[in-house]
Amino acid sequence: MSVIKKKKHVSKKNKKAWRKYCDIKDVEDFLEDQRLEERIGKFETKPDSELFVVDTAGDEKPEVTDVKPLSLKQKKRALLNQTPKCFEVLLPTSKVQDPNAKRNHVNPVGTKPTALSKLTQKRRFEKGAYVKKVELVRKNKKIALAKKRKAKEIEKTFKKNLWGDELPEVKGIPSTLCDDFVSQEAQLHNVLPEKRLRPKPPPPKTVATRAAIETPHPGVSYNPSYQEHQDLLQEVVQHEEKMMKKEAHLNRVTTKMFSKVTAQDKENQWREEMSAGLPQPHNPATAPSDEETDNEYKAINPPVKNKKKDHKARRKQRERIEERERLKREKIEKKKITDIYKLRKLQSSISAKEKLQAELQAKRTAKRQFISATAVPALNAHKPPVREPDLVDPTQLSGDLRNITTNTNLLRDRFESLQRRGALAASKLMMKKKKRVKSYFKPGHKVTEQDIEKYVQKMKGKKDPKKTVIKK
Amino acid sequence: MVSKKKKKYSSGEGAQFMTRKAALKKLQLSLKDFRRICILKGIYPREPRNRKRAQKGAGGIKTLYHTKDIKFLLHEPIIWKLRELKVYQQKIRRARATREFGRMRKYLRDYPSINIDHIVKERYPTFVDALRDLDDCLTLCFLFSTFPSLKKVPRNQSMLCRRLTVEFMHAVIAAKALRKVFVSIKGYYYQAEFEGQTITWIVPHHFSFQPQNKDEVDFKIMSTFVEFYTMMLGFVNYKLFHSMNLVYPPQLTAGFSPDSEKDLIDEHAYVAERIAALNISLAKVAGANEVEELPEIDIFQSEDGDPQKLEEAKQEAEKVKKLKTMFKGLKFFINREVPREPLVFIIRCFGGEVSWDRNHFVGATFDESDESIAYQIVDRPSMDKQYLSRYYVQPQWVFDSINARTLLPINKYLMGAVLPPHLSPFVDKIKDQVYMPPEERALKDPDFKPLDDEPSGSDIEEASDEDAEEKNEQESEEDGETALARQYQQEIAEDSPSDDEEDGEDDLDKEKKKLAKEKKKAMAVSSGVPFKENPYQKQIEDKQAFRLREKLVRKKHRNLYKSMKAGQEKRKKEIWLLRKKRRLHDEKVKEEKKAEKRKQKMQAFEAATA
Repeated sequence: MSVIKKKKHVSKKNKKAWRKYCDIKDVEDFLEDQRLEERIGKFETKPDSELFVVDTAGDEKPEVTDVKPLSLKQKKRALLNQTPKCFEVLLPTSKVQDPNAKRNHVNPVGTKPTALSKLTQKRRFEKGAYVKKVELVRKNKKIALAKKRKAKEIEKTFKKNLWGDELPEVKGIPSTLCDDFVSQEAQLHNVLPEKRLRPKPPPPKTVATRAAIETPHPGVSYNPSYQEHQDLLQEVVQHEEKMMKKEAHLNRVTTKMFSKVTAQDKENQWREEMSAGLPQPHNPATAPSDEETDNEYKAINPPVKNKKKDHKARRKQRERIEERERLKREKIEKKKITDIYKLRKLQSSISAKEKLQAELQAKRTAKRQFISATAVPALNAHKPPVREPDLVDPTQLSGDLRNITTNTNLLRDRFESLQRRGALAASKLMMKKKKRVKSYFKPGHKVTEQDIEKYVQKMKGKKDPKKTVIKK
Repeated sequence: MVSKKKKKYSSGEGAQFMTRKAALKKLQLSLKDFRRICILKGIYPREPRNRKRAQKGAGGIKTLYHTKDIKFLLHEPIIWKLRELKVYQQKIRRARATREFGRMRKYLRDYPSINIDHIVKERYPTFVDALRDLDDCLTLCFLFSTFPSLKKVPRNQSMLCRRLTVEFMHAVIAAKALRKVFVSIKGYYYQAEFEGQTITWIVPHHFSFQPQNKDEVDFKIMSTFVEFYTMMLGFVNYKLFHSMNLVYPPQLTAGFSPDSEKDLIDEHAYVAERIAALNISLAKVAGANEVEELPEIDIFQSEDGDPQKLEEAKQEAEKVKKLKTMFKGLKFFINREVPREPLVFIIRCFGGEVSWDRNHFVGATFDESDESIAYQIVDRPSMDKQYLSRYYVQPQWVFDSINARTLLPINKYLMGAVLPPHLSPFVDKIKDQVYMPPEERALKDPDFKPLDDEPSGSDIEEASDEDAEEKNEQESEEDGETALARQYQQEIAEDSPSDDEEDGEDDLDKEKKKLAKEKKKAMAVSSGVPFKENPYQKQIEDKQAFRLREKLVRKKHRNLYKSMKAGQEKRKKEIWLLRKKRRLHDEKVKEEKKAEKRKQKMQAFEAATA
């Protein structure tokens, strides 16, 4: 009787359980085989010559020839070419390929010039064996330099029709595919991903729409008409007034919000606060009169007594509340009746209100649109400076080209224009901070008042004898 | 199954934007290099719709870039070049620190340069795109061409700017593309037209030296902008020169090449100076034909079919054509005190010939003593030696003539005269409903004739004025007489039918006659009345049609339309009022003048008789 092995139902719930009851021997064997193959090389890939030997000798035994055995010296010489036994450990035994294909190459011993080879080279150089070579090197260097210089020059000559037909290379698409017969899609399909043209999102609206050079106000002419110049000045005045108003507002909202206290007042306040609760020195003028007190303890805030209301008081209160409620209701009822007669008036008032609101809304939207159209883009924590109208001082106007003066910095103008258009994020230029150098005297070099006095007296002492000499 | 929870900001606006710091990390660049590449490639910071979401919940205002923009930058081959440069900079720094100056010099010599022509092509796929964006480029290049060598600016940049701007000016001269000039306090505003694109740029006034304040402008950034713009301007110049069959880089024609007998030390400098003088036309490509003049505008019946607009366009083209050759055949001499370069540029743009004092600048073609000079441009109150054969005018005459598109009368611009105001040609054309004083109107369109043309100035003119007035008076008297006569005739004409009725006055055979008349009427062939076409009929119909069309304006736009119309009416009224005021004022002044003159005459008469 064959014994049928009863299939045991086991749980393979966990990874661990799965591993325990799963027979994966065949897989492991296969992998082991594969690894072995990798180590010693694949059987199929090995050439026949390595696996088989052509038996040419047959069964005959080779004739034993009389060969002179190698001498010890010869044996040692033969061994010289072989890798020493001691280094064999370092050699790779596995046939697995180096995973790092581009391993750093180390020059084998002997490629570096030794002291001896240097000497021989020097000798040969002196003999004149390298003259030609040296000249050639020099020439090549010169040619390379000239080429480089020329390439740099060409960059500055702009000798290329950038928008012509003869383009150097269609970007990204390999030249073999740049043919009329290859469809556009196919061309693009064959472009390497890193060479593929990326779509660039359109530039920001402010950059695209705002004019690089705004039309100048006619009043900035070097010889403006009176009216136009006045217009310009008016613009400047309005702008300035707006700024002043803004500043005043800021001042009012920040600095002026807090009342000012003199230093003396502050000191007094501080003193008062700090000495709160401290025993005051006895002052007969302010001290409470002793006569009224009869040494009885009296709290400053006496305890609250829960005084109950009696029935009558409760009733009265309830009645009061009910009466109030009734009156209120009555009033509402009355209003309902009168409102029926007021309907038209109400309607007109509502419509008037709605009209007003619509008007205000239109105004607000117009204002918002105007602001969004002219506002400087917020690209940074810093805001670009607001455009100020150009001020042309009447004293500046000479009326002729010879005495023209200017007060505008065109470069700054351009810089700010770029910022206002959103091409640049506004930023505050960070200047390099100067290091603060603390100056002090070395203790031994200190000059005190006394030293000065001493010095002065010394000088006097020196001078005096001179004077006396002169007097003599 | 519960799907994996979506991370916040992994899609939508949060994923669309990227802070500058993140971009730096992604591109593996330093801030300096990132700024540079952004400017070169035209990548700008963005303003998100919802900042909080775009910044992934972070507060404050950060500089944000489009993620797509950064990905676009990621594929730029220049990034690798920048990394190479970094290595070079390190080497140079190291060599300097170790004081190996020979090596440092070698590194500086071999410093790789970045070629950005492909970026120019990428940013401006067509030539017209490049022309459209030339305003900023030209202004900055002209500005940088005036700079001395500065610390943060590459050494040769200002020289390169100067070269390119001179080349561009030559291109404008050859193409006769200049249209408007405006001299402001800031500098010269020029407007040129190439291939239908108007290009406006500012050239600063020529002052000797203006120190630049360090803490106002980031020179490094501006210099990077200029780096790109020079590249762009170079290629634009090449294209412009080629389209006009000129040799690029510009060369002098064979006639002006230096004498072969003298050996020049620096021939290149000789040529460059003469080219920078702007006074000599450049060499053309050998064997090239003259550039053909553009044919006249073809008239296409557009869908609007607005004949008035077509007519306007045609007139404009005609005017421009005239403007291009305004100074042709005229010789100008520029005095020492007048800014040379702008005037030479302007005059040569309109076909004039210019020269100046030989010792003042190279490139003078004729002397002051040349008798064929038509105009000498002077900016001083008087001159010792004056030639009778020429007009001495102030430079503003040139500017104003160009803006008016005709040669203006010179009497207001003569030497020492108080100049009339220099008006801006850049006034908004859309704002046509603006009051213009008659003087300005006369400047704007030459066809306009002020109603009371009163010349002012010399006595002779006044006398002629008087004559004219007398004539006017006579005319007005005559006018009165003729008017009376006409009225009389009209009255007669009106009366005549009634007269006829009065003549046939017969009470007796009234009825008979009536009958006869009626019969006659029925039988008679009345003389045909020619159909009188009301000359205004068409206008009336048009007006009605217009009103109907007005009714069809959508409800959405109705309010806007109404306000527009109201505004138009208001402006019209204002203009009308101002004109009336001016007319009344002028009349009053005239009356006063007349009265005064009469008084003077009387006094003179009395003095003579007494």
